[in-house]
Amino acid sequence: MCDSKELLVGFLYDEIDPVSKRTFERHLATCSDCRFELAELGATREQIALWTPPDGDLGFRIVRGAEPAPTPPRFRFFSFSPAWGLAAAAVLMLAIGAAVANLDVRYGTEGLVVRTGWNHATDAQAAVTQVDWKAQAEQLDRRLRDLERSAPQRSAVQPVSASSAMSDAELLQRVRDLVSQSETRQQRAVAARLSELMREYDAQRRLDLATINQGMTRLQNTSGSTRDAVRQLIVRTALDTK
Amino acid sequence: MPSTDEELVARSQGGDLDSFNQLVLRWERPIYALAYRVIGREEDARDVAQETFLRAFRALKGFKGQAKFSSWLYRITLNLCRDWIRRERRTPVVQPPEGIDVIELAGETSPSESIEELVSRHELGRAVGKAMSQLPEEQRTAIILKEYHGLTFQEIADLLDCPLSTVKTRLYQGLSVLRKQLREAGVESTFGK
Repeated sequence: MCDSKELLVGFLYDEIDPVSKRTFERHLATCSDCRFELAELGATREQIALWTPPDGDLGFRIVRGAEPAPTPPRFRFFSFSPAWGLAAAAVLMLAIGAAVANLDVRYGTEGLVVRTGWNHATDAQAAVTQVDWKAQAEQLDRRLRDLERSAPQRSAVQPVSASSAMSDAELLQRVRDLVSQSETRQQRAVAARLSELMREYDAQRRLDLATINQGMTRLQNTSGSTRDAVRQLIVRTALDTK
Repeated sequence: MPSTDEELVARSQGGDLDSFNQLVLRWERPIYALAYRVIGREEDARDVAQETFLRAFRALKGFKGQAKFSSWLYRITLNLCRDWIRRERRTPVVQPPEGIDVIELAGETSPSESIEELVSRHELGRAVGKAMSQLPEEQRTAIILKEYHGLTFQEIADLLDCPLSTVKTRLYQGLSVLRKQLREAGVESTFGK
């Protein structure tokens, strides 16, 4: 009887036919070893009953025809920002860097010279700009002299030399006005461009920060996200094959 | 009156998705618990449970009702667990939580149970999980099916494709090893009495 562990196990789990049960009970009354072993195994059963699995957040369900829910990888730290977003941000930063870095604004007798970016305009290029102004001034001077020659009687009351001197002064004033207007236009254009770039940069920065924040939150809730993704069993293929 | 498994299975086989989802809802936790106790990893157990229902759904037309629906699910789960163990080439590792959050545990306290008793209970659970993971797979599976899922000797024998006597032997040997390991782990055998 003591060698029949099957009988003991049957008795332990109360899965034993009535006749065998009565026989084993009579044996137990006289066998302390079997009583002890039965008690020990019973205590072990009580102990192992305390092992419970963690509360998995399940909620599986079959969904017909739905697109599979994307299962987020367990670690997707770098995936919260799309590549195009990073590329756009990089280009924007490069543009801002090129525009702001080495910004060189000069104002002198030659006029306003604005040079930006790493590749400064060469002196030759700057000279071209100056030549343009000179040519413009000379052209204007020639036109004024032509006008004076074509209508000498209109200024008869004034000496020719005086008239010529006044024309030079006017010409100079005109050139200065043109230069001043040009400066103003360029300053406004540069300011507007910088302002636009800063706005774009700020907007992109806010977007990136928001995206990073979302990504971090998502990372912290990886298990939660995984649980959510696991909740749906998508069997599109199964349904399609029917 | 809730529908029986057989009724839900019949309706599911007729194309009623809601009925199958009722079966899923009814059995997802036992299936997950079985997978967790066999392979010992929460995430993988969840994957196994998910795959179990997916396979069951796909094979539902072929289910003729020779066995109970639950037994059929258990068989699928155990096969998947076996595949997992083979694939991972390792014995199950029970992953205990990093630490016991007493505040969190306090919510589980019954009025008559002190925090000390609660912590002790959780420690014991961890010790059991660890001891269980060291059992041979056949013994562990038999004990899990018997102790936590209440299957009969015959149902276990059918599931594991082995004789009835083998099931009893595995149960006896497994319990004996567990008793020894728990004693070595310092767990009092009179716990809970």
